Order: sequence, then C-alpha cells, then structure tokens
Amino acid sequence: MTDDEIRKEQEIVERSKKDARAFGELYEKYFDRIFNYILRQTDDEELSGDLCSQTFINVLNNLNRYEFRGLPFSAWIYKIAGNEVNKHYRKNKGKKIFSIEELKVKELVERADEGWDEELINKLIDYMKDLPTDMLQVLELRYFEDKDFKEIAFILDMTESGAKMRTYRALDKLRKNFNIKVKYDE
Amino acid sequence: MSRHEIRLRRKKLTARGTERFRNYDAVLKSHEENQRLKKVLKVFTLFAIILALVMLIIIVIRWEKRIMPQHEKENPVRTLPKS
Repeated sequence: MTDDEIRKEQEIVERSKKDARAFGELYEKYFDRIFNYILRQTDDEELSGDLCSQTFINVLNNLNRYEFRGLPFSAWIYKIAGNEVNKHYRKNKGKKIFSIEELKVKELVERADEGWDEELINKLIDYMKDLPTDMLQVLELRYFEDKDFKEIAFILDMTESGAKMRTYRALDKLRKNFNIKVKYDE
Repeated sequence: MSRHEIRLRRKKLTARGTERFRNYDAVLKSHEENQRLKKVLKVFTLFAIILALVMLIIIVIRWEKRIMPQHEKENPVRTLPKS
C-alpha cells in the first residue's frame, strides 16, 4: 500500500468519525478480506459472517479512539477481527481451527523435486498441527494476507522482531522437512 | 494432542459467495443503536452522579442541623448586657 493510499484512507476515517455513512467505502473495500481472514480461522461461513459483522460494528463504535500510527487502516480492522475470533473461542472453549485453501498452499510453496501429491499435503498438514498457534497466526498473516512484519506485530500485539523470529523458525522447519522453497521469504 | 486443528479447503470463497453476508445498512443500524444506548447510559450516569451529590448535600445539611442545637446547649452564646 502506498503512502498516498494510506493518506486517502486516513481522510475517509476522519470523515467517518463525523458521519458513519462515509465508512461504507472502507467496509466495501475490506469486507471480503476480513471475511476470508475470519473464515480461515473458523471454517464456518455463517459464523464468519456474524463475526465479520461484529468486527465492523466494533470498528465503527471505536472509531473515535483510532489513532493513526503510520500503518494502513486495515491493520486495525484485522486486529479487531482477531480479537473477535479469540473471544469466540474463549467463549466456546473449542479447539482453534485453521482452514487453509489448498490452492493457496500450492501457491505458497514450490516443490524442489517432484510435484504435489495427497501424501505430501497430508504430511504438511500434520506438520502444521504441531506448530505453536502463534507461529501459525504469523504465517497466515504473512503468506495468506500478505502483511508486512510491522503490521503483523501490530495485529498480533507482539514485537516486530518476535514476528520475524516466529516466521523464520517455522519456515526453516518447513524447508528442512519437506525440501520445499517458500515464496517471498527472502 | 495438538492445540489447533488444520483443515484443507478445496474451494475458495469468491466475492459472490460473501455477498449474502455483506450488509452495511445492518452494521450502520447496529452502530447507531449502540451510540443511542451509550448516550442514554451517559445521561443516566450523569443523573445518578447529580442525584448522589444532592443526597450527600441533604445528608450533610441535616447532620449539621442535628449537631447545631447540641452544640448551642453545650456552648451557649452569651450576649453582653447593654450598659
């Protein structure tokens, strides 16, 4: 996202603080992304729809408290969405779900040797099951949402170096165990 | 036992798939109701604070009135006779 785009969004946010209808533009822009972000953590479309609506209601209710910190406005929406998902899991005491699109996994990793097969995908899923949840959250934001480490740190309430460390540790294991090359990790 | 469950989704949800969940009017309505509730709560809190203050003042005044006669009995004010 360019500085100009961030500034334009900030103008919409300032307008929305006075008139909530102005926020509709940002709602339309980010709805799909936030919906998919939540869906990836719930694997339930109806629930994701509810949590997504609640996220945007919370965003609007707390808009006056929002302070610009040089990050895109979407980082704040992601943070609120993440809090909503966590609240849901705390309330229902269920196991956290990571629902990953097969296509995205294939896009993310390129096999160094032979092509994709079911066995490799299953092995990869087993490997991911053993990763700590916070590590998976970082990987999800980095590779499925294309967020930079500064944004990830803000969304997950951790330091930038902490986010980097978690990502590189997970990727190192991935490379060693699967002989795969991960995109964009340079 | 792992802390989370990993599921693989074969199909990607398209923008058309999310369409039925997209409803900004409902979000706006909910937000406005929330703001109204917040305003009512603010007014109610203010009213409760004022009421508590008034009650405190009344209690202090009554307490002072009750204390004063006793105080006057114990320390009556003596006026000097006119010369």
